[in-house]
Amino acid sequence: MDGISPASLRSGIAARPSAAIIEVSGLSKRYGEQVAIADICFVASAGQILGIIGPNGAGKTTLLETLVGLLPADSGAVCLDGQDVSPSRRRQSMFYVPDEVRPYQDQFVGQVLMFFGAVYRRPPAGIAQIIATLELQPVLGKRVHALSKGYRRRLLLALGLLAPHPILLMDEPFDGFDLRQTRQMAPLLRREADNGRALLLSIHQLPHAERICDRFILLAAGRNCGSGTLDELRDRTGLPQANLEEVFLALT
Amino acid sequence: MRSPEPRRISAAPFAPLLAKELREVLGGRALWIMLLLICPLVGYSFFQALSLYGESSVAARQSAVLAVSLSPFDGILVPTFGAFYVAVTLLFPFVAIRALSHEKESGSLRLLIQLPYRAVTVMLAKALAVMCAWLLASLPVVSAVVIWMMLGGHIAPAETLTLVAGHALYGLLVGAIALFSAAITESAASAAIVTLALTIGSWALDLTIAGRPGLFEWIARLSLTQTLKSFEQGLFSAGLVFGMTLVAASLLALAGIWLRPGDRIQTKLLRSLACSVTTVAALAASVLITFSRDMTEDRRNSFPLADERLLPTLTAPLEIIVHLAPEDPRYVDLQRNVLAKLERAMPQLTIRIAVEARPDADAVSYGSIEYRYGTRSDVSRSTSPREILPIIYGLAGVQLPAPVPSTEYPGYPLVANIDLALVWFLGALPLLIIGAWLWHRRPPSFAFVTVRKGEQA
Repeated sequence: MDGISPASLRSGIAARPSAAIIEVSGLSKRYGEQVAIADICFVASAGQILGIIGPNGAGKTTLLETLVGLLPADSGAVCLDGQDVSPSRRRQSMFYVPDEVRPYQDQFVGQVLMFFGAVYRRPPAGIAQIIATLELQPVLGKRVHALSKGYRRRLLLALGLLAPHPILLMDEPFDGFDLRQTRQMAPLLRREADNGRALLLSIHQLPHAERICDRFILLAAGRNCGSGTLDELRDRTGLPQANLEEVFLALT
Repeated sequence: MRSPEPRRISAAPFAPLLAKELREVLGGRALWIMLLLICPLVGYSFFQALSLYGESSVAARQSAVLAVSLSPFDGILVPTFGAFYVAVTLLFPFVAIRALSHEKESGSLRLLIQLPYRAVTVMLAKALAVMCAWLLASLPVVSAVVIWMMLGGHIAPAETLTLVAGHALYGLLVGAIALFSAAITESAASAAIVTLALTIGSWALDLTIAGRPGLFEWIARLSLTQTLKSFEQGLFSAGLVFGMTLVAASLLALAGIWLRPGDRIQTKLLRSLACSVTTVAALAASVLITFSRDMTEDRRNSFPLADERLLPTLTAPLEIIVHLAPEDPRYVDLQRNVLAKLERAMPQLTIRIAVEARPDADAVSYGSIEYRYGTRSDVSRSTSPREILPIIYGLAGVQLPAPVPSTEYPGYPLVANIDLALVWFLGALPLLIIGAWLWHRRPPSFAFVTVRKGEQA
């Protein structure tokens, strides 16, 4: 798998206008008196990779878990294909890959992959393809608890790829990967988007986000400080040559 | 790599979920450690039972009258299964809790509840896996029954299966409590505290307030251990089976309600309330299920056959007013020897304990038992069916039934060599379990899902 330049990764998004597959409005969540996310609004389309950007504690994970229905929202609506969908039914269209999860620690990696493949009725050849793409063959016979952080991340990525939902949410998908591995995985996610899925990725490493995402939501202290393509964000800051990091610092 | 078209997912096959749950249960050390601990526990109990049974059999071999009292059900099976009951009460909850808490603690639950299964389906799969663990845990006690038969011991299938059914239902109940506890708590340790508070709390109830009158008597009936007593007497009660199954199903449904983290606490409380009210209503209705059958070979829960045939023909209402306190040994005797049997044999029977029935109350009436059949009545102080049944027949105006010829219970004395049991439970069986554990830990082959990188599916 070769690395692909950010420009080529993002190519096609402008030429691929499509209706919003997910539309979020006024999404808020508090933990007691503490505001986790407040009045979050955004739209994403099939084929897009949307980066949710922010430092630790910005509310990225809470936003993803509220979106998918793992946390009850205090207010707000999530429309899928134009229809307001209750949290319990969102899992029909969305799949969320959490961070810091060891899925079924005492089972073998191959068993976990076969389980998800069987649940989603994926043929063995399809499962094998994902295993090969993510280079998981050496650890199929290892138990999940014995995996390194990088392989565990690959396993989680594989589970996300096995899920056929139109919207895939991933929390820190590159955490645990080195630069080379990240560059290997980025085209894989791009291909998933090109296949018609919308990817919502929570990323705190801004260079990674800039490399792969088409659009961004900048979160700080649970609030949306800006959203749009990098060019749109640059226009807002008046920094035409700024990278995502500089844009983020300017807007938050 | 080419991915399939994205699609919405609303259903998934059950088999992969069940297989995953079975792997989870079998993959944990808790199950195997429990199996190893059950071996000496059941083995020692079986050894003791064999030893005592053998000692009693030495004298019984010389006397047919003594032999009648030697029942393998009471002498061997109930005590051996009793050790299994202790293991299920104290150890089995940890295996059942792990089936859910492990996923909660590792974060896997957040993946699981996104899969296209309803929460109830997930709990059903977990309950089935937990009951498979119970089946595995029962292997030592099953092996004890096999050894007993190999030694030449007698087994009556009906009463044995009744006992097994009772323990299976008790295992289901403990498993459901453990899963419910795991669903409502954040850690395995908290779930263990909740579960053991209920299981060991039952023992406390039995020891402290059982046999006391009034509210205490009602509370004592909530004890889990009380549910087993009927089966240990060889009595199959459809109402009890229904009630135990219903409570277990309700606990699993409640666990399903509390499983989903995305629901608001108010929503969960409302659903739990609805589930609990439905369960209580169904339990109240279950008192209408009166079917029960004496499954024992010696028919200890029944009157003689002739009486069993005549009593159901007495169609007028029979009222029995007992002037005895429930904790009085005479009442216990009357209940076991007469009232329990009459309840099963007579369609229209009402039993009342007189309000003033206290040992320190009216000395004249205390101890008497009134029988009212139609317009007639009689009073007796006997607790023996040999005296009470003629009173009832007299009130009903029917002749005493002629004895029906039937096979007398012969009793089954047996003096066996018990060394084999010790070798099996302290040596061979633990080694087999360790071997099975090691065999289970080896990685399976995944060759069929391995393709070279870049190869197209």
